[in-house]
Amino acid sequence: MTLNEFPLIALATIACWSLGSVLQIPARKSKAFDGISWLFFVSGTMVLVWFLVSYWIALERPPLRTLGETRLWYATLIPVVGFLVEYRWKIKWLKYYCLGLASFFLGINVMYPDVFQKALMPALQSVWFIPHVVVYLVSYVLLAASSVSGWHNVLLNVRGKRSTLSESMSHYLALLGFVLLTFGLVFGALWAKEAWGHYWTWDPKETWAFISWLAYLGYLHLVARKTDPRSLQWYLGLAFIVLLVCWFGVNYLPSAQNSVHTYSG
Amino acid sequence: MQSSNKPVQAGSSFEGFRMPAVFTVSAILAGFAVEWFTSGSGLAVPGWPANFLFLVFLAVVIAIVGLKFRDRPLVSWLGGIPLGLSLIIGLALLSLIGGVVPQDPAKPDSLASMLRLNGMFSSWPFAFVTLLFLFNLGLSFVWKTIPFRVANLQFILFHGGFWIALSCGLLGSSDLQRLIIPLYEGQESSVAYEMPTERPVHIPYSIYLKEFEIDEYVPQFALYDPETDRVIADKSKIVPEVKKGVKADWPGIATVTVLEFLPSAIPDSSGKPVFAPDRKGVSFARVRIIEGEKSSEEWICAGGPEIRPRFVPVGKYFLGMMDGQPKAFRSHVMVKGASGERRTEVLEVNKPIDFHGWKLYQMGYDEKAGKWSSLSLVEAVNDPWLPSVYCGFFMIMAGNLLYFWKGVKKMEEV
Ligand code: HEM
Repeated sequence: MTLNEFPLIALATIACWSLGSVLQIPARKSKAFDGISWLFFVSGTMVLVWFLVSYWIALERPPLRTLGETRLWYATLIPVVGFLVEYRWKIKWLKYYCLGLASFFLGINVMYPDVFQKALMPALQSVWFIPHVVVYLVSYVLLAASSVSGWHNVLLNVRGKRSTLSESMSHYLALLGFVLLTFGLVFGALWAKEAWGHYWTWDPKETWAFISWLAYLGYLHLVARKTDPRSLQWYLGLAFIVLLVCWFGVNYLPSAQNSVHTYSG
Repeated sequence: MQSSNKPVQAGSSFEGFRMPAVFTVSAILAGFAVEWFTSGSGLAVPGWPANFLFLVFLAVVIAIVGLKFRDRPLVSWLGGIPLGLSLIIGLALLSLIGGVVPQDPAKPDSLASMLRLNGMFSSWPFAFVTLLFLFNLGLSFVWKTIPFRVANLQFILFHGGFWIALSCGLLGSSDLQRLIIPLYEGQESSVAYEMPTERPVHIPYSIYLKEFEIDEYVPQFALYDPETDRVIADKSKIVPEVKKGVKADWPGIATVTVLEFLPSAIPDSSGKPVFAPDRKGVSFARVRIIEGEKSSEEWICAGGPEIRPRFVPVGKYFLGMMDGQPKAFRSHVMVKGASGERRTEVLEVNKPIDFHGWKLYQMGYDEKAGKWSSLSLVEAVNDPWLPSVYCGFFMIMAGNLLYFWKGVKKMEEV
């Protein structure tokens, strides 16, 4: 499967997700509708998973190299977080944000298609490649979800409808995200030693990874100091901006002109 | 604050974030002042053994202050979270400058250069904030470690690991040696160069390069548009590979089919390509080009140092092929130690070898010559502090695992 089929795949996925969402309205009253609605949610995601797997096979390398390829992973994984949150905390609204974000990413990929490019530069051919990137991906997905729910909680508070349950949800999403962020950072350092001779060179990508890690470290210490969770929702909402810079903003910074890590594409 | 500490009196100047913030900002400003008066010369970390002695001194001072004076408000403030948080933010802000301003030489009298914004991570403000950071982190570490409780293990691993990795990484940077060794096929060398000064250094071993080789990805077609100076993508958005049987379609322009592919060939006297051994030949492809009604068969070729590339005009475009990107490159070497020991090794990207405390890396080659390069660049790295930094990394990861586990357990209680 190549990118030729991708617009169709994206359409099918978004159609499934939309149908699932619409069916949630009658599902409030009927268990059967709820079942069908979830069938659509899951099918949408399965279509993407199927595409990702066959794309991986066609590329003969992990589709983890370009920004477009990472967006594909986000589009696949973010809704999964939304589904799991609903399963775990019975909070329904997060999945709609997640589906919206995922559809947005799919849309970007349809409008700006990647080039099908099998080449993988030698530095990326390493056992560290998949663990490092996947751990980071999942971390970003969790932190994105924590940020979205942070914003949602801010809105709830403004309307005087505070929910401590949903505050603890955003906290645990951020906590899990931080754990993976830390692993991603350390794996990256260990890999850099094998590939480039030194574990840390303050390359712009590394510097920004460090900054985003510090941002969430700050969050955890505010929590440890028993800061009012309502203020922390703002913090989580804003902290994600730093991650966004690290993910693709770095490529546009003046400092990044000779970075070894910037994603191409 | 730690539960083991005396509660700090409400309303005292040791509460809240005002004092820590003022303190952090002062440290940063003091650092920039030093830079300004020294025209941004930064600080050079002293080498072995001064850096080691400094580290021991720092650790001992922190331990003594932490254990003897932990009840003083000033000391508990120094090791408390509010100051830690301010320093984390301070460190993030300085890193932000270092992550935005290019970290390259700048004009000597520019602001960036005077304040060393272009060398942030060896600047005085960075050093001051890091030093305070280590002090603060160290105190909190001492308090959680003594007396020891299993419940604090995650904290100890996380904070101790970060303390070790940060202090050893920064203080050990002066003992790090990264040298570049240029090697030519069939020659032996024991001269390396320090970067960026290009100062030659003699290394205590020599390396003989038997052979340098590059594997490339399959070559690719290129339909070149001289007007826009661009390569045009075909219908499938795939960069078409040149393999026997591959068909590429540029709607409205042409359809091209590969009839024959020779990975390594040279043209004979009549211009027809014939097989040649690996390092001599270049890749050729015989293609059928269909433009509307017109059909033709042609040889195209990517070219090499002695063989010119062959393009075929297709309407206002040119069809040619490009060599694939490098897939792997490696050097077959013999490393000889001072004692006469010899080892045959293969150096490849991501597969460094160890030799008497040095790590040898395949770094690069003559990119202009591409797969015909007879030059291989090898990097030799000696980092005596690496084991301690890695010890820090592994402590962080162990703490991280515990943190994950604890987090999941707490999450189940919500
Ligand atoms: C600036 C220096 C630092 C100080 C003063 C500091 C101090 C503290 C304190 C007092 C706690 C609360 C512990 C508790 O409530 O049991 C804490 C928690 C924590 N610290 Fe630090 N820390 C610092 C830096 C770091 C660093 C560099 C890391 C990461 C390597 C880190 C990771 C953590 C984690 C993961 C927690 C747990 C938070 C939680 O339980 O929710 N800290 N820190």
